[in-house]
Amino acid sequence: MSLSPYVPIAGMFILAIVFAVFSVAVAPLLGPRRYNRAKLEAYECGIEPSPQPVSGGRFPVKFYLTAMLFIIFDVEIIFLYPWAVSFDALGTFGFVEMLLFIATVFIAYAYVWRRGGLDWD
Amino acid sequence: MTPTYYLVLSAALFTIGAVGVLIRRNAIVVFMCVELMLNAVNLSLVTFSRTTGTLDGQIMAFFVMVVAAAEVVIGLAIIMSIYRTRRSASVDDANLLKY
Amino acid sequence: MEELHLPPIDYAAIAPLLLVFGAGCVGVLVEAFVPRAWRYRVQVPLLLAGLVAALIALISVADKRVSTAGGALAIDGPALFLQGGLVALGIVSVLLIAERRVERGGAFVAQASVVAGTDSDRRQSSQPGATEVYPLTAFALGGMMLFCAANDLVTMFVALEVFSLPLYLLCALARRRRLLSQEASVKYFLLGAFSSAFFLYGVALLYGFAGTMSFTGLREAAAEAGSEDTLLFLGIAMLSVGLLFKAAMVPFHVWTPDVYQGAPTPVTGMMAACTKLAAFGGILRVFTVGFADINLDWEPILIAVAIATMLVGAVMAVTQTDIKRLLAYSSIANAGYVFTGVLALSEEGVAGTMFYLVAYGFTVLAAFAVVTLVRDADGEATHLSRWAGLGRRSPLFAGLFTVLMLAFAGIPLTSGFTSKFAVFSAALGADQVTLVIVGLISSAVLAFPYLRVVVLMYLSEPAEDTPTVSLPGVFTSLALVIGLVATIGLGVVPGPVLELAEQASSFIG
Repeated sequence: MSLSPYVPIAGMFILAIVFAVFSVAVAPLLGPRRYNRAKLEAYECGIEPSPQPVSGGRFPVKFYLTAMLFIIFDVEIIFLYPWAVSFDALGTFGFVEMLLFIATVFIAYAYVWRRGGLDWD
Repeated sequence: MTPTYYLVLSAALFTIGAVGVLIRRNAIVVFMCVELMLNAVNLSLVTFSRTTGTLDGQIMAFFVMVVAAAEVVIGLAIIMSIYRTRRSASVDDANLLKY
Repeated sequence: MEELHLPPIDYAAIAPLLLVFGAGCVGVLVEAFVPRAWRYRVQVPLLLAGLVAALIALISVADKRVSTAGGALAIDGPALFLQGGLVALGIVSVLLIAERRVERGGAFVAQASVVAGTDSDRRQSSQPGATEVYPLTAFALGGMMLFCAANDLVTMFVALEVFSLPLYLLCALARRRRLLSQEASVKYFLLGAFSSAFFLYGVALLYGFAGTMSFTGLREAAAEAGSEDTLLFLGIAMLSVGLLFKAAMVPFHVWTPDVYQGAPTPVTGMMAACTKLAAFGGILRVFTVGFADINLDWEPILIAVAIATMLVGAVMAVTQTDIKRLLAYSSIANAGYVFTGVLALSEEGVAGTMFYLVAYGFTVLAAFAVVTLVRDADGEATHLSRWAGLGRRSPLFAGLFTVLMLAFAGIPLTSGFTSKFAVFSAALGADQVTLVIVGLISSAVLAFPYLRVVVLMYLSEPAEDTPTVSLPGVFTSLALVIGLVATIGLGVVPGPVLELAEQASSFIG
């Protein structure tokens, strides 16, 4: 097996590493240093940082619920990819089957929605 | 393409996962190790799909991903509820059922 | 692009499956859109109607022997018989699950994640339990029916998970002793996920070996390869780990007593009856269709597993002090007896195994139904010492339980005798003399704990705190009557069902 197709990828890796190390190393040497309170806080896209848990590392339970719902509905969609690729070949039967599949996913969605799984508070 | 490397990597990942299940204490970490095992199997399936020249393995990999996601959700729900009542996710603390 | 050739689907043959899964889906919609007060009254008839409709559909296609959906499903004799058994046992399980008279609001809690002992928990102690259990039960039963009919490894894996995942949740929903219940659920879940990872790795290796997932293809490839292929051997071994775990065979049985004890008793009954039946349905198909031609190679190991299962189950049952744990170990030993029938590797063995599974299922469901009735202020009194003197306090239920215990012990004129006779004679027919001898020794050992319970109930004086036997509601009474009639009926006139099992005992390849 020839390694030549991997040479540009290796080059890309080396470039990325050099660039990352270089910028991190050079920033404190060249940049001005003016600290204030806002700069020491965690960066959260410019909005007020939400209070962090005291003991460290614990997230509110509702994040888990959101994560669970996200994972399940995200991964169900996996079956759409092979179907979409061969949509033309599968024809009407495939289309109806996929509609049925999506309908069953929506049954679960309706349950989550009606029972308050999507409410944040 | 040499399938051996992929199969060895898959077996190694599977073993790491299995050992992790046996020695880790935190239920969530144990569960992550199970997920590692499932993904190691996926690697094997895709490799075999290539070596045997059939698509069944790739289809199976899709199903494994979906089932793994469903398992994550069920697992997190159970572990969360036991964590709420017990304030601990350590499997060693779950010791009421011993005689 | 050209039209793909789509596999034909025999909708009549899979109608029972569709009906049960459909009942589950409608059940989820009921949960979403029907007001809380009405849910119980809608869910129970819905699920029962779905199961009865599935049973009717099964009877109407009873003569079908087809492989459908591109070979993914084999609707053959064993699949139909086992599906029929599953639906019948499922109906009895649902009756137990739906009981709300014995415990106010039923055996299930409304919100399992509310911390026990807090104010909100005390509030929900008077609330009716979660009605999500009915769709969950429907999905579990549907998955088991699919598992019995799965004719390739993909379908089998998906079915395995479809019936396991709802069971993990059902285990965690007990109203009383919630910590025990949640702990049982976590154990069952982690070990179950672990074992299904092994199952899956076995699937991958077998696929790598044969290049196909179907059992027919596997058998052909295995016959060609002889017995010197590493992938094949490792694959069979790992696949077996997953299957034997679900069937609770030694050495993959350690979860059984804990989970049986911690889970809500109706769910325990369902696991002992239906899950066991489904697991053996899968085992039968894998070993008789998939690897039949290379049986000499794996047989010694499986015989060792069967012997260990019978002995460990029986001996451990003797030392138990909790009725649910005792029944758990007894179910392990019974899995060993069933496996004896599987190892006969003949049509007679398949028929005996299937008959055993159905007969045992009815008896064990009735036994767990009695367990739900023996209660004191803290809920079910499962410790054996509390059962002392029960025979004098409530002779009717003690008598009923005695009949069930005698059936477990294999006394003639009960289903326990006929079913043991069926599997052991099949094993003898296949020259498995060792297995039969160990089976008889194990049954003799196992008779002791059963008789001890009977003696305890009758020969002790009732104490001040001897629990009372609650008056069962309509559902539990019905389940008890069905279980008792099946236990006696299959013992006195086993002919029709046994004949049905024999007619249905050949797999299509």
